[in-house]
Amino acid sequence: MTTAAESAVPWRKARPNIDQDNEAFWDGLAQHELLLWQCGQCGTWYWPKAYCREHENEPFAAQMSWQPASGTGRIFSANVHRWAFDPAFTDDVPYAFVMIELDEGPLISSMLTEPVDDPVAAIGRRVEVVFEDHLDLADGFVLPKFRLL
Amino acid sequence: MLTAEAARLAIADAGLEPGAVDGAIELRGSPGGGDRAGYVDGFPRMLGLPVNVYLTVGRGGALASLGIAIAASFLDRGIASYVCLASANDTGSRARLAKERGHRGRPHDLEKEGYWGKPLGDLRAVSHHSWMAARHMKEYGTTSRQLGSIAVQTRAWANKNPEARMHAKTMTIEDHQQSPVIVDPYHLFDVSLTTDSAIAFVLTTEDRARDLPRPPVQVLGLGFAEIAAELWWEKKNYTHMAVPRARDMAFAQAGVSLDNIDAAMLYDCFTAEVLFQLEDYGWCKKGEGGPFAASGAIGPGGSIPVNTSGGLLSAYHHEDLTGFAEAVRQLRGEAGDRQLEGCQTVLFSSHGGEMLSPGMCSIHATTVLGTGR
Repeated sequence: MTTAAESAVPWRKARPNIDQDNEAFWDGLAQHELLLWQCGQCGTWYWPKAYCREHENEPFAAQMSWQPASGTGRIFSANVHRWAFDPAFTDDVPYAFVMIELDEGPLISSMLTEPVDDPVAAIGRRVEVVFEDHLDLADGFVLPKFRLL
Repeated sequence: MLTAEAARLAIADAGLEPGAVDGAIELRGSPGGGDRAGYVDGFPRMLGLPVNVYLTVGRGGALASLGIAIAASFLDRGIASYVCLASANDTGSRARLAKERGHRGRPHDLEKEGYWGKPLGDLRAVSHHSWMAARHMKEYGTTSRQLGSIAVQTRAWANKNPEARMHAKTMTIEDHQQSPVIVDPYHLFDVSLTTDSAIAFVLTTEDRARDLPRPPVQVLGLGFAEIAAELWWEKKNYTHMAVPRARDMAFAQAGVSLDNIDAAMLYDCFTAEVLFQLEDYGWCKKGEGGPFAASGAIGPGGSIPVNTSGGLLSAYHHEDLTGFAEAVRQLRGEAGDRQLEGCQTVLFSSHGGEMLSPGMCSIHATTVLGTGR
């Protein structure tokens, strides 16, 4: 796993929504760890946070916890943005915004760090998380992007 | 004001005095946002309607279907005798303002804060809906030209509808293929419009409707389905929609099968959603929506007329109210050049309510309307 260069420009894009249900996930990213929500009883992985679907749950999903994940998976579906709908993304286009099936099972969406020519052909390609630091901002954060393997 | 004007016209069209309307529902994509003063400045106050109940309802593209379900319960319980449902949408005007600030497409401030993917480039509905097209292409070999045939046939309907935004503009498959690729695999012409519109109607019981001057349109069946707990985990939510349960519920209530449906107003926020519904409702097999659409089955003269107003793609975008309004027009015999002969049973679908990443539009509703004859 690699670290992208820190952003020197002011943040003009939307900020992530960090709330009580996902705060630990964002804290994990700040430590360059991709955390997923795992059932301590049967080992099933989830993202975002959920009660385990496999059996009866303890109150407030007490047997579930955030655990480090491999950070690898494959592209489940993909597109390539050629228009920047928001001017803050002018320097990003063309970019691939993809749905990733992580090796642990859950789906998560993100931007690829490099464009692809054909989004349909990119489906099935292996990817790995890349941590993009924005910790220099006030209330800074780290975004999990993905790169092709 | 737009909502109130639509409500005023609907009440007059029904042949009712405003004082007879005792229930009011405002239909909105995001009813709980509190981002506008609509709760105190709603159309019942403006029109002086002496209602027993007023609320806002809607989830993504499911407005008319949810509104009808709630209004029906007010009527069944005697809470109201005549419920006016009204909705207005100024997305087109706000999109023009957003463009002045350098944004493209739907106005930026309409998109909810808090989407997971927003800082990662998930900027518009097309940012994730295009995954559906890509995944279907991968699994079933569907092509951009096949999706384009849906846009072309929908435009042919719009060319027969003077109220359609794109009434005067024809579209060929080459026009579609040459339109800009905005989010590959989607061309600009795979994407629905941003427009202003207002729609209202009055719902009442069958016996009361018989005494009114206008020919009533009957709600024959109404079904809902959610895929949040199923297709998301099964990872089928980019090739399938939550159609089957909603369809079966609505068809069972209406006592109809697919063969009885004279026209279908299918939620067409993007071309692939139409293709999925052609498969999921059963007009063709799963995976065969591309060739089926490209055969000309859904346009004028086709075996199943779809979105005869021009739909969200070519007429105007008012969520499921676009399909609802056209279903009513067809059943009343008021569809002008695009009127279908002997049109007695029409379905309109509702879709949307993005959840999770988002990208999973988990609600689907099927509403079957009939002439009541």
